[in-house]
Amino acid sequence: MLAFGYIPRPGGVMERSFAKEVALLRRGQGEMFEGEGILAIAKALLQSGVSYVTGYQGAPVSHLMDVFADAKPLLQELGVHYEPAANEAGAAAMLAASINYPMRGAAVWKSTVGTNVASDALSNLASAGVRGGVVMVVGEDYGEGASIIQERTHAFCMKSSIWLLDPRPDHPRLVELIEQAFQLSEASSTPVMAEVRIRACHMRGRFTAKDNVTPAISTKTPLTTPDFDYGRICLPPSTYVQEQDKVNRRFPAARAFIAAKGMNEVLDGDLDEVGIIVQGGHANTLLRALARLGLADGFGASRIPVLVLNVTYPLVPEQVTGFCAGKRAVLVVEEGNPDYLEQAIAAALREADLNTRIVGKKVLPMAGEYTAETVLKGLARFLEGAVPRGVDLERVGEVLAASLSPGERARALIGAPLPARPPGFCTGCPERPVFAAMKLVQKELGQVHVAADIGCHSFATLPPFNMGNSILGYGLGLSSAAAVAPMFGERRTITVMGDGGFWHNGLSTGVTAALQNRTDGVLVVMDNGYTSATGQQFIPSSTADEGATRPRISIEQALRAMGVTWVKTQGTYVVKDMVKTLREALTTKEKGLKVIIAQQECQLARQRRIKPQIAAALKAGKRVVRTRYGVDAATCTGDHSCIRLSGCPSLTIKENPDPLRRDPVAHVNNDCVGCGLCGEVADAAQLCPSFYRADIVGNPTKRDLWIARLRQRLIARLQHFAEWRAPA
Amino acid sequence: MNARPVTLLIAAMGGEGGGVLTDWIVGAAQRADLPVQGTSIPGVAQRTGATTYYVELWPETHAALGGRHPVFGLGPSPGDVDVVVSTELVEAGRCCERGFVSPDRTTLIAAARRVFATSEKAAMGDGRFDAERVMRALRELPRQALLFDPDRLPDAARGVSLNALMLGMVAGSGRLPIPLDCYRDAIRAGVAAEANLRGFEAGLALAAAPPSPAAETTRARPGLAGLLDQAASDLPPEVLAVVDIALPRLTEYQSEPYARLYMERLRRILAVDPAPGGLHRLSAEVARHLALWMAYEDVIRVAQLKSSSTRFAEVRAEVRAKPHEPVQVTEFLKPGVEELASLLPPALGRRVVAWAERTGRTERVHVAMRVRSDTVLGFLRLFLLARLRRWRPRSLRFAEEQAAIEAWLARIAAAAQRGEHALALEITACARLLKGYGETHRRGRSAFALVMAQAVDSARPGDPAAAGRVARAREAALADPEHRTLAATLAAIAAEAAPAPLARAAE
Repeated sequence: MLAFGYIPRPGGVMERSFAKEVALLRRGQGEMFEGEGILAIAKALLQSGVSYVTGYQGAPVSHLMDVFADAKPLLQELGVHYEPAANEAGAAAMLAASINYPMRGAAVWKSTVGTNVASDALSNLASAGVRGGVVMVVGEDYGEGASIIQERTHAFCMKSSIWLLDPRPDHPRLVELIEQAFQLSEASSTPVMAEVRIRACHMRGRFTAKDNVTPAISTKTPLTTPDFDYGRICLPPSTYVQEQDKVNRRFPAARAFIAAKGMNEVLDGDLDEVGIIVQGGHANTLLRALARLGLADGFGASRIPVLVLNVTYPLVPEQVTGFCAGKRAVLVVEEGNPDYLEQAIAAALREADLNTRIVGKKVLPMAGEYTAETVLKGLARFLEGAVPRGVDLERVGEVLAASLSPGERARALIGAPLPARPPGFCTGCPERPVFAAMKLVQKELGQVHVAADIGCHSFATLPPFNMGNSILGYGLGLSSAAAVAPMFGERRTITVMGDGGFWHNGLSTGVTAALQNRTDGVLVVMDNGYTSATGQQFIPSSTADEGATRPRISIEQALRAMGVTWVKTQGTYVVKDMVKTLREALTTKEKGLKVIIAQQECQLARQRRIKPQIAAALKAGKRVVRTRYGVDAATCTGDHSCIRLSGCPSLTIKENPDPLRRDPVAHVNNDCVGCGLCGEVADAAQLCPSFYRADIVGNPTKRDLWIARLRQRLIARLQHFAEWRAPA
Repeated sequence: MNARPVTLLIAAMGGEGGGVLTDWIVGAAQRADLPVQGTSIPGVAQRTGATTYYVELWPETHAALGGRHPVFGLGPSPGDVDVVVSTELVEAGRCCERGFVSPDRTTLIAAARRVFATSEKAAMGDGRFDAERVMRALRELPRQALLFDPDRLPDAARGVSLNALMLGMVAGSGRLPIPLDCYRDAIRAGVAAEANLRGFEAGLALAAAPPSPAAETTRARPGLAGLLDQAASDLPPEVLAVVDIALPRLTEYQSEPYARLYMERLRRILAVDPAPGGLHRLSAEVARHLALWMAYEDVIRVAQLKSSSTRFAEVRAEVRAKPHEPVQVTEFLKPGVEELASLLPPALGRRVVAWAERTGRTERVHVAMRVRSDTVLGFLRLFLLARLRRWRPRSLRFAEEQAAIEAWLARIAAAAQRGEHALALEITACARLLKGYGETHRRGRSAFALVMAQAVDSARPGDPAAAGRVARAREAALADPEHRTLAATLAAIAAEAAPAPLARAAE
C-alpha cells in the first residue's frame, strides 16, 4: 500500500537524467551534434582539451553545469576535473590553476550578477595572467526573460583587461570561436570571457563534431612540481610589472591574434558608401533585418558591408579604421549602455583622422534589448538618414509600415491593457504557505520590513503577496536589513533567504555579521533542498541525491555551531503552525538573531520524482491514494480572499454556475498536486467552508469498495428522507 | 533576394510543454533534412509566467543547398511570422499586439480558452479581462485562424495533451514544409509516444475541420414549482426568468411561505418600477439580489448544500475520479463565535455577540470541524445541522437580515417613487457587497452599511449626482479588502455633497 501524502524529506531516486546530453558530448570526429547552444559550448570545451571545469548555476547557463555533473564517467576517462563551486567567486578563484600551470580551464556563470561576485578573484587572475588558456562562459542575462539587473559585462573586461567574445549565434561558428578563445588566451596570457545571451544559449542547431582532446595535465597525468614565480603573485612590485605587461605585450598580442585568425568577420557588399559594425551576438538579427529590406539574401550575403565583431574587447583599431575608410557613414549596432563600442570606434577614427560618420545610439535605443523589431526600425532610420546610393528608400518605408501596422491595429482593436503574466510560484510550491503565514501574522502584529533575497521566493514581491521591501543580491538579504532593523526599534524585521542564497553568501556575510553585531531580527531560510530557481541543482544541504558520496551539511547545525541559539525548523504547509512560529520569532523577549528554517521539498522536483512512482504503482495494481482539493461552487460567494492569500496557479476562477450570481467562483483545476495550502489558508484565516479535500483511492481493495458501498447506501437513505420530507 | 525562412512562434505559459512542442518541430524538420533553428527563453520565465518559443526553418533541404547555411534569426520580427501558436487567448492577443499576427502572412492556431492571470483572479468582484476584445483582434488580423476550445473537443481529442494536439494542428495547417511522417517520427523519439501520436492525429483532424469557437452555453433552469405557477404568471418575462430560479431555491432554503414572502416583497418594487421603455430592469435586478440575500449563507445552508444528493456526483466529476474509485471527502468548517451566536434567539445571541466583541473574541474563537462527509457519522453531522432549518426563523441572524432587507427595499422603493430610477438601480446593486463568511462577511456588511449611510441616506432627494456617487462608492468598496479606497471615496463624496462654507462665500 502506498500513500503519497506529505513526504517531509525526499530520498531515493535521482530525479533528472541528462543521459541523452551526455551522449552528445561523446560524439567524435565527423559526427553530427544536434542540440542547444550551451551544450555546443560544453562540447567545444572538451574539444579544446580543458583540464578542469567549474562554475555556479544560473540561467541561462545552468544546463552546462547539469550536464557536466552527469558526465562523470566521460570526464574521468579524459582526466578532466569538474567541480561546482560554492559561488562565482569560488569558481573564478579556481581558475588560478591556469596561472601557475599550462593547463586549460573553463568556468561558467550568470552575468553580470555572477561576474560581480567573482570580480575580486577576476582582478587578480587578470593581473597575474595565465599560462594555460582560460575561458569563462557567461550567460548574458539581458532583455526578455532576464531575471536580473540590466547591465553589461563589457565594463568588467575593460577595467581588468579581460578579452570579451560575443560570438555570432551559429553552432559551427560558436564552437570554432570557443576553441580559438583558448588559443587567444594563451597567445596573450589573458583570461577570456565569452558572453552568450539567453536565446543563444537555448538555440537548437547542429554542427559537425570533432574528437574530444585528452589534456596533457589531468587527473590521470598529474603534476609533480609546484610552480613558484613571484612575478605571478598579485603583490607589489609584481602588480606594477603586470600592469605594464598588459599594456605592452598582452594587448598587442591579442590584437595580432584576433586579426590573424579572422575571429571578426567582414561581409563585403556592393553598397559600400555605408557600412555596419555589429556585435557578433546580434549579427543574425541584423542580417535578417537587411534581408527584409531587400538588402541581403537568406544566407548572409549582404549588399551593405558588415563588420561582425565576434570579439568586442579589445577592438583591433586597424580593422575598424580599415572597414570605415572610404565610407560616409557607419551604423554601430551595440546593445545596452554605456555605448563603449561606439565611443571606442569614434576614438579610433579620430586618431586615424577619418571623418566617417558614426551612427549608433542616435537611431537605436540606448537601453533595452535589441529585438528584431528594434534593429529593423534602427536600420531603417539609419538608411533614411544616410541615403546611400542604390537603396530604395521607398521600399524601406513600405516594409517598415507593413511590419508595424498589424500591431497598431491589434492594440486599437483590443483597446485595453492585457493582464500581465509575470512568473510566480509553481503549483503547490512550499514557499507560498510561508508568505501566506507572513501575511496573516502581519495582519495581527502590524506591517514589518521584509528584506528579500534572490531565489524563487522573490516572487513574493509580486501580487498577491506584494511582500519584500528590497533586494540587494544573492545571499545579501540579512546584511541589507542591518541598518533597517535598529531604526524600527521594537518592531522586528524579517529577512527571507533561500537555502541557495544561504550557502552562496548568506551564512558567511549575513549570519556572521548579525552574530558579531548582536543584530536583533528574524531570518527565514527556505530550505527546499535545491537551488530551485536555476533548475534544482544540489547544494550542501541537499538530501535528494541519496547515495552521493559528498557529506551533507545541515543548515540548523551550521547555525548552532556558529552560536545562533533561537533556531526552529518548521514544515511549511501547515499555515497555522508557521503563523505560530513567526509570531513567536517576532515577539519573543530573546534578543539576537532568530532563524526559522522553513523546510519542505521543492514541489517541482518532488512531482518529477513521485509522478513516475505513482504511475508505476497504479499500473502494478497497488492501492494508491491521490489527494487533491476542490471548491464547492454552490457555497463559494466569489470574494476570492482565498486567492489573495495563496496565489496558487491551480487555484483559479470560473464562471459562476449560479445564474443569479455574476462574480466568478473560485475553482481548483486539475493541475492541483494536493499540497493542501488552500484548505489550510481557508482554515487559518477562517475564510470560508467551500474548500474540501478529496482522497481518491486508486486500485481500491475489496474492503474499500465494500465500505464505500455501505456508506453510500446509508447516506442515500438519509438524503432521500430529507428531500422527500422537504416541501415541494 | 526573396527567399526567406519559414517562421513559427509559440506563446505559452511556463510548464505547459511549449519546450517539448518546439523540440518536436525542430526534430521533425531535422528528420526532413531541413535546416532549422529553435530558441526559447526558459529560466525563471518558465515558472508559470508568459513565455515564447521561436523556430525558423529553411524550405530547402541541406542536400539541395549543398553546403550553404541560411542565417536564422533568434526572435520573431513583427509582420514576419508565418505561424503563431498560442495555448491561451490573452497570450494570442499579446502576440497580436506585438505585431506577430499579420493579415498577409500569419496562420494563427490558438486554444480559445482563458487561463486567468493573478490580477484577474485576486479581484474582490469580477476582475476578468473582457475576452471579446481579444476575439475582435483574432477575427480580423490573421490570414487564417484555427481556433478551438480545449474544453469542447471532439471525442477523439479528449484527454490528449495540448501540445501534441497543437503539433497536429501545426502540421495540418500545411504552412511548414515538413512531411507528416517526420512529425510522427519526432514524437516516437520522445516519451509517452503513443498518447502523443493520438493527440497529433486528433490535431490533424481538427485543423482539417475546425470547430466553430465556443457557443454560449445555455443553462438548464428548473421548472417553476407547481404551486407558485399562478402567482408568477403575470410577471414581465425579464423578472420571471429570475423568479423562476428564486422560488424553488427559497422553498428549499426555508419553506414555501418564505418563497411567498419573496414574491410579496418583489411585488412592492414592481408596483413602483417606472419600467422605462417597457423594460423592468429594476424589478429584475431586485428579484436577483433579493433571492440571493434571502438565501443568505449560514452554517445551516452550508450543511444543506454539502449534504444534498447531487453533491457527491459533482465532487467526483470535479476531481475526476474513475467510476470504481472510492472518494473520501473532508470538509473544512470553521464557524466563528459570531456565526454560532447568530443561530441563537435574538436576545441571547446579541448578548453573546456583545460579549465576544467586548473581550476581543470575535476573530479568535471558532469551532474548527474537519468533517468526513463521505462517512455515515460525518454525513450525519451535516445532515443534522441542515435540519436546523426549521429553527432558523427564530434566530438572531434571521431577524437582522430581514430587517436589513426591508430597509434596503424601502430605500429602493422611495427612490423609484421619486422617479430616481438610476439611483434605485444603484442602491439595488449594492447588495452585491454582501457575501461570504466570517471575516469576509463582516467586511462586506460594514461596507454596505457605510455606502448606505454616507452615499444613499445623506443624499439630497432628487440630486441627479446621487446615483453616480453610490456607484463610485460601491466600486471603491471592491477595490481593496482594507477599505482604504472606500474611505477615501466616501470622504470625497461627503466633500462634494456639502461644499465648504468658504467656497460658498466665494460664489
